[in-house]
Amino acid sequence: MVAQESDPVVDYKTLTVPVKSAVDKFDLLPAFLKVRGLVKEHIDSFNYFIDHGIHKIVEANKRLVCVHDPTLFLEYKRIYVGNPTVHVDLVEQKITPQMCRLSDRTYAAPIFVDVEFTKGNQPNKQIEQRQRMQIGQMPIMLRSSHCVLRGKDEAELAKLGECPLDPGGYFIAKGNEKVILIQEQLSKNRIIIDRDSKGRVSASVTSSTHETKSKTVFFMEKDKIYLQLNQFSKPVPIMIILKAMGIESDQEIVQMLGRDPRYGSLLLPSIQECYSEKIYTQKQALDYLDEKAGSTGAARARIRKEGEARKIIRDIFLANVPVSHGNFRPKCIYAAVMLRRMMDAILNSDTMDDKDYVGNKRLELSGQLMSLLFEDLFKTMNTHALEHVNSAYSKSNSAMLDFTSVLQRFSPITQGLERAISTGNWDLKRFKMHRKGVSQGLCRLSFIAALGHMTRISPQFEKTRKVSGPRALQPSQWGMLCPCDTPEGEACGLTKNLALMTHVTTDEEEGPIISVCQSLGVQDLASLSGEEIHSPTSFLVIFNGLILGKHKDPKRFANAMRKLRRKGKLGEFVSIFVNDQQRCVYVASDGGRVCRPLVIADEGVSRIKEHHMKELRDGVRCFNDFLRDGLIEYLDVNEENNAVISLYEHQDKDLNGEKNEVDRKSITHVEIEPFTILGVCAGLIPYPHHNQSPRNTYQCAMGKQAMGNIAYNQLFRADSLIYLLVYPQRPLLTTKSIELVGYDKLGAGQNATVAVMSYSGYDIEDAIVMNKSSLDRGFGRCITMKKYSVLKEKTDRIIRPQNEQNKQILDADGIAAPGEIIRNHDIYVNKQSPKNPRDSSALKDQVYVDSNAKYKGVEGETTVVDRVLLCSDTDDKLSIKCIIRHTRRPELSRINSREERKRSGMEKGGVGGMEEGGAKEQKGMEEE
Amino acid sequence: MDQRRSVSDLFNPLRPESNRNPPLYPSLIPKTLISLPKRGQNPSGAQKPPAMETTVSYQRFPKVRIREMKDEYCKFELRETDASMANALRRVMIAEVPTVAIDLVEIEVNSSVLNDEFIAHRLGLIPLTSDNAMRMRFSRDCDSCDGDGQCEFCSVEFHLNVCCDSDQTLDVTSADLRSAEASVIPVDLAVKALAMESSSTSYEAAEQRGIIIVKLRRGQELRLRAIARKGIGKDHAKWSPAATVTFMYEPDIHINEDLMETLSLDEKRAWIESSPTKVFDLDPNTGQVVVVDPEAYTYDDEVIKKAEAMGKPGLVEINAKEDSFIFTVESTGAIKASQLVLNAIDVLRQKLDAVRLQDAEENDFSELKAHLG
Repeated sequence: MVAQESDPVVDYKTLTVPVKSAVDKFDLLPAFLKVRGLVKEHIDSFNYFIDHGIHKIVEANKRLVCVHDPTLFLEYKRIYVGNPTVHVDLVEQKITPQMCRLSDRTYAAPIFVDVEFTKGNQPNKQIEQRQRMQIGQMPIMLRSSHCVLRGKDEAELAKLGECPLDPGGYFIAKGNEKVILIQEQLSKNRIIIDRDSKGRVSASVTSSTHETKSKTVFFMEKDKIYLQLNQFSKPVPIMIILKAMGIESDQEIVQMLGRDPRYGSLLLPSIQECYSEKIYTQKQALDYLDEKAGSTGAARARIRKEGEARKIIRDIFLANVPVSHGNFRPKCIYAAVMLRRMMDAILNSDTMDDKDYVGNKRLELSGQLMSLLFEDLFKTMNTHALEHVNSAYSKSNSAMLDFTSVLQRFSPITQGLERAISTGNWDLKRFKMHRKGVSQGLCRLSFIAALGHMTRISPQFEKTRKVSGPRALQPSQWGMLCPCDTPEGEACGLTKNLALMTHVTTDEEEGPIISVCQSLGVQDLASLSGEEIHSPTSFLVIFNGLILGKHKDPKRFANAMRKLRRKGKLGEFVSIFVNDQQRCVYVASDGGRVCRPLVIADEGVSRIKEHHMKELRDGVRCFNDFLRDGLIEYLDVNEENNAVISLYEHQDKDLNGEKNEVDRKSITHVEIEPFTILGVCAGLIPYPHHNQSPRNTYQCAMGKQAMGNIAYNQLFRADSLIYLLVYPQRPLLTTKSIELVGYDKLGAGQNATVAVMSYSGYDIEDAIVMNKSSLDRGFGRCITMKKYSVLKEKTDRIIRPQNEQNKQILDADGIAAPGEIIRNHDIYVNKQSPKNPRDSSALKDQVYVDSNAKYKGVEGETTVVDRVLLCSDTDDKLSIKCIIRHTRRPELSRINSREERKRSGMEKGGVGGMEEGGAKEQKGMEEE
Repeated sequence: MDQRRSVSDLFNPLRPESNRNPPLYPSLIPKTLISLPKRGQNPSGAQKPPAMETTVSYQRFPKVRIREMKDEYCKFELRETDASMANALRRVMIAEVPTVAIDLVEIEVNSSVLNDEFIAHRLGLIPLTSDNAMRMRFSRDCDSCDGDGQCEFCSVEFHLNVCCDSDQTLDVTSADLRSAEASVIPVDLAVKALAMESSSTSYEAAEQRGIIIVKLRRGQELRLRAIARKGIGKDHAKWSPAATVTFMYEPDIHINEDLMETLSLDEKRAWIESSPTKVFDLDPNTGQVVVVDPEAYTYDDEVIKKAEAMGKPGLVEINAKEDSFIFTVESTGAIKASQLVLNAIDVLRQKLDAVRLQDAEENDFSELKAHLG
């Protein structure tokens, strides 16, 4: 090329500026995934439950005391989960997940408790101790901290019959792999300002503590504000509630809302209503509420004792705000803040909360759901034990009466956990939770299908139509939830998928964070008057939905908190979010928030330098070191609002040499890799940004249907149906995600050479004309493996065949031999059952009738017995599983064959296509 | 050499442009011109269909000129016939020239990772030397074995017995197949043997390990008996002796020299560059555009479009000679490429004979009519 000085289009000065070598941060991704794995949120959440959550549940319900005798008691000292084992013939045996899959068992570990208890009803009881008392079996999530696969390398996994690429994160219940789907929910314990179905402005809080769960709603009707609570039969004027909590002076209430006269005037109708009811004092208010208490009929209300309203206000109204020693002040302030935010929303509708905003959502993971389930079952077990002991105590004077024996006899835990996981029904009356389809069978159609299933988020509400809001793409889901991966049709936009680097937080200890806040200058609420709370020079500090106090300099406070977090003094997932509009600093450490790692940039300069990346490549540094050294931090959706994130390192001038409009100094974070906004399924698409967006969405759904490899152990699995490809291939073009996920190691599909030509005749959409020779040579050839199970009852017998018809493939043991070709009507298990199963006395041949298993196949197909598995199930019955294999080649679109349609009644569409020489089928049609 | 051209050719309705064919220049007359074998005592159009009582004869005398011939590769010209003939030849080569391939596998032991059908399929795809295939019988019409296909006339038996007892992965290849007949062996072995014979120095061929069937690890075993049978590619691609068979029309390129001279040198160069393949070049001495390789032309019309874009339509005229074809034949090695062509002609003739016989017996064109609609 000859350079021409006069060329006006190209500015050579900008071309000669040395290109700043941007630090390639891609290597962080594999490092991240190595540390966390692809389904880390499931595993983390389950680990948290097993290692912390379960202790808290037991701690909260640790003492069982007999009502008749306070000295007869049981106290849980410790709870812990052992290693996955199974009892076979009274011997404890270690089990592996693959064993469970093959023998229809549940992959579970025993739950042990250490207890202290007293026995019998003698006057001076000895406190006895008992260690390692088993109270049930806990299903164990694969690759969790209690799983045998934890920390195993490839060779060790292979020895256990496990696929090293399998992500884990699911359970095995009765031999079936079950995923507990991520459940999307609205934040608990947070004020949400919204318009309800009648168009009224309302402020609602869904309180959830270990003791109670309630929903408190304030709403405005005809300019007056009411409280709606299930415990009150009718909406109650808000002023009465405030008065009942001890604020009798109207002035103080108005002060608590703020000095702006507009708040006062908005509250005026409510104040007036209170006066028209002639309620001036706390006593009057409580009496009024006592009347309203109780959701049913006046008859019941009359029987209620006094003080009922007080109890409701203390325990149920805004249950998340604790009342210590009858001090209602925090609750009053909380209610005032709710009112204030409501009025802000009335005055300026922009301040209304968006329910679809990802920051207002929490993801409930398997750990939390298991924890709820366990809590329910644990309490059931304890109440049952209590009832039993109470009744037995009054009846008999048995000296042997003690809690442990009752607990040993009746423990619903094993059964309950197993049933919930295998059916997916979470029916917890105690927590008013009745959910169906929480767990699903893991989709093993292909490797990607399994992965995609693990990252799926099931929606919070029923799939109501019409409303488009929840279905729309939310800007706040950037980087957290995949923008492409959602199903079409009914659940479109409601069912979502996690992005590649998303992390879902687990609960964190609150105490230390609160004390850090206080030492950083948060003024305690108790020391503030109503007026001071909303003084225009300070911001409220709200921690996990609780008002902690106020701070004069929110920016400095937030920066100090963040600095502590980056230093590792505070949990890495604690979020600090300054909301200028609401004049609040939100600090959050609760579980279920979505967050993701970002590179910290000081005034636009990334903290990660080339030498860091070199250390990473050399294996000196790992992802957690980046976190520890304060180079990377996790931001949740709320805190992202305080950050300015650039996709790539900031360039002062853009490609055309024009000045970049973004000020470098404003940038606080740099994205690790932009493609991590996509999820696992969308990550497989090459150049997705060149496609029309719905095409990417379609591909996300279709990628799961690709046939190929399922796992390295695919030939040793006993799934009810597997489709495999005889010659699967690696994609010619790989994306970075493909390499990260391992799709290049477990490919699905084949690379076809396709000629595209527009010509009349073959212009049918979505069809392909295939070359017959390539099919002959193995293109698209597939293996299906189907499982046929036979259960041998204890009274049944399996006998040696006597050279009879349809019994040629049987071995001497009466079960089909592997490798034999099995045809229609062939018998694969030669089983006989007694005519009368109860009559076990005379076992002569005449007593038995044939109950053999007959293979029903298609005439003319060559199917082969691939494997035969013998195992004893949980009831010690012999279970025989025959895996029958059929190799198929693509056939002329079956739907066209009338014969086929008659046979199977419109089977699902087969491979669409035609073959050059596939005239056989066509001929068949013509002949009909 | 058969240089006759019947007068009737000029009136052949199938060749409207036949008169535009330039005569063969003496220098281009090939050294080896084979005329297609004639049918016994029936030369020129003596055998006319009785139904067509016309004086016009459609019989033609195609010529073949071989350009290149190796064992597995062959390139030749086919002239003075039409596309239907060329395509028939091509299709017969691909789909109807018989070879021998493994068709029936009896597995005794298979503890490998691949399942039985998988291995059987892979065995089937191994090309076997099939020089005798034309003389063999199809097992379906073999008299001596009642069609069960296990006799010397219609089948060849193979045995495979491999067991891995080392820690290293063992490749089971076509070299492990033991044939009952020395003339039917996997093609790669035959090639290797030939290479060893001809020159002891060519290690390259000798080092080839054969076609991998399956890999075994310690303790795995594969023992089977396989029967190879005669078959044709139409039934299954494993019986196809052809790797690729293609033909192209010979292009006829006329440059309008007068118009060409109106172009500047740069324009000529640009025009030449517009062709994706190197068909034209500039004579460095005269500055004239010359056709260097007409066969490199892919009928892409790029030069014509370029000429139009330059405002010189008609700069070049390119036509396909509709009666000359350049064939490229690659064989799988089952039979030699040259033999493949000859066998194809044989098969084609047999097929035509069959039609003719049917013709004579029944004088019924119903099937033909059905095809023609």
